[in-house]
Amino acid sequence: MGTINSAFSMMSGALDADQAALNIVANNVANASTTGYTEETPNWQENAPVEINGVSYGTGVTETGPTSVRDTVLEERLNQQQQLASASGSRLTALNSIQALFTPDSGSTSSTAGDIGSDLTSFFNSFSSLEANPTNNSDRQEVLSSAKTLAGDVSNAAASLNSQRSALDQEASGVTSQVNSLTSALAQLNLQIQSTSPNGDAGTLEDQRQEDLSQLSKLIGINQITTENNSLSITTTSGELLVSGGTSNQLTTGKVNGVTDFFLGGTDVTSQLTSGGGELGGYLTARDQDIPSALSSLDQLAYSVSTQVNTLNNAGTDADGTEGTGTNSSGITGTGATPLYIFSQSTQVAGSAASMSVVMTDPNQIAAAGLGDGTGDNSNATVMAKLANSSIVNGQTPINYYSNFVSTLGATVSGVQTENAAQTASVTQLQTQNGALSSVNLNDEASSMTTLERSYQAASQVFSMLNTIMASALNLGEQSTVS
Amino acid sequence: MQESGTRRQHADLKELVVEASRALARLDADRLEELALSCQALNRELAPGGTSRGAEMFRQAREAKGDMAVFARVLEATRANLDVMNRLRELRAGRLEYGERLTRGWPRTEGGHGDN
Repeated sequence: MGTINSAFSMMSGALDADQAALNIVANNVANASTTGYTEETPNWQENAPVEINGVSYGTGVTETGPTSVRDTVLEERLNQQQQLASASGSRLTALNSIQALFTPDSGSTSSTAGDIGSDLTSFFNSFSSLEANPTNNSDRQEVLSSAKTLAGDVSNAAASLNSQRSALDQEASGVTSQVNSLTSALAQLNLQIQSTSPNGDAGTLEDQRQEDLSQLSKLIGINQITTENNSLSITTTSGELLVSGGTSNQLTTGKVNGVTDFFLGGTDVTSQLTSGGGELGGYLTARDQDIPSALSSLDQLAYSVSTQVNTLNNAGTDADGTEGTGTNSSGITGTGATPLYIFSQSTQVAGSAASMSVVMTDPNQIAAAGLGDGTGDNSNATVMAKLANSSIVNGQTPINYYSNFVSTLGATVSGVQTENAAQTASVTQLQTQNGALSSVNLNDEASSMTTLERSYQAASQVFSMLNTIMASALNLGEQSTVS
Repeated sequence: MQESGTRRQHADLKELVVEASRALARLDADRLEELALSCQALNRELAPGGTSRGAEMFRQAREAKGDMAVFARVLEATRANLDVMNRLRELRAGRLEYGERLTRGWPRTEGGHGDN
């Protein structure tokens, strides 16, 4: 009887185990389209054998619970790539807005920042016209009018850049609450996982933790360290602690020099977060590097053009015979009581673009004549017209300087675009790999790896051939140009 | 497949490069192999004695330069992902081997890691 009882016991145990396994499979199917759900597999444990009349008999198996099919290393790689893709994505959005500001709008009738290049040409051309007719009032009016257009477009560009900077500051600041909410949730999940599954996979709780980590990776650059009892410590990429076990450190903000800075436990971590990645890294890079760099270039242009034009105009004689207060290249100093300035004169480069304006109201004050040369002279107008081709802005002509600034901006946008396209593609690939591994999916890991390898090999072949084609095509073009 | 390659012979070079990046991003090996055939056809066209359209190809090559940079970076990222996946595979294989040794009663010593 004992044997029959044992057999029944084994059979019912097997049925229980099968039922438990079926429940796990049913759960997988039910969650097939649940975001972040990871497939679970049943675990079987051999029961202790029984000994009857000196013979050992097996007693079947027991289902001991599910284990999620996940790979933390792959998930971590995915999070890292996500951080990079999010950073370049948010930076690219900001850079596109900056670039749009300096793109000429052919359909617009009013002058904009995009017209600064043509404004500079028109401004210096107006001196060439004045050079031909130094006493002509409409030519004098044209100098002031083109100066106002140039100053207006430069100052408007600076104002737009400053307003974009404020908008980015707000976007960056808004990320803080999302980060804090996620780090708090992660700390809570750590506690739950520690108490329920200190030695194994925590299934749904682990899925939730991974989902929160993925969300956090989109926002800021993070590192994760697995600690004892299946807990997780999370730091910023530069090592500042965000979550340790069940405790989260809140990110706080404060205004420093007019912009939002970020603090962790009283330490300013703004520069670390800037280089760390995630949306916040992208916003901060645009706010603290790209926009200040564009502003600095505009400041230099505005300062150099204003200063050089003012200096020359102040060393000449206006249409009323009044001399400026400056000294010309021959060492002669004007006898005037007040300076003859066309533009507002900045005392420093910083802020010159925002404050650029035309202070001269009377066109007669344009000093086309040289000092002591009489009102009909044009020698000073000639010198001012020549500024167009003089290296007065950081060793470059004003037009070349502006053109190089726009080209550099374009190259930066193009570089970030390339990075973002590659990082986004990398994220897509990793999601595919991770999906094949951990989602409820018919593809198994081996076929997924084969696809990755096959795709890489085919792409390498395509790349190599395209390289040859491009080189041949460019060579053909050169040959036809020469012939 | 050959038909597809022939069909794409006159495709814009830029279009081809962009499509290659996209296909690689979504790991579409079939599409990439089709594109490889297209490239072969294009290459033959450009070979000495081929029916190349020099000026047109020159223009297309210049236009496709930026997209080639993107394709190069996607390829680089894929190489890195492939490395990670290969390391993971080795790691898992190592883990399995280690696990088997333990169940067979091998001692938990340095030797268990296969150092000696």
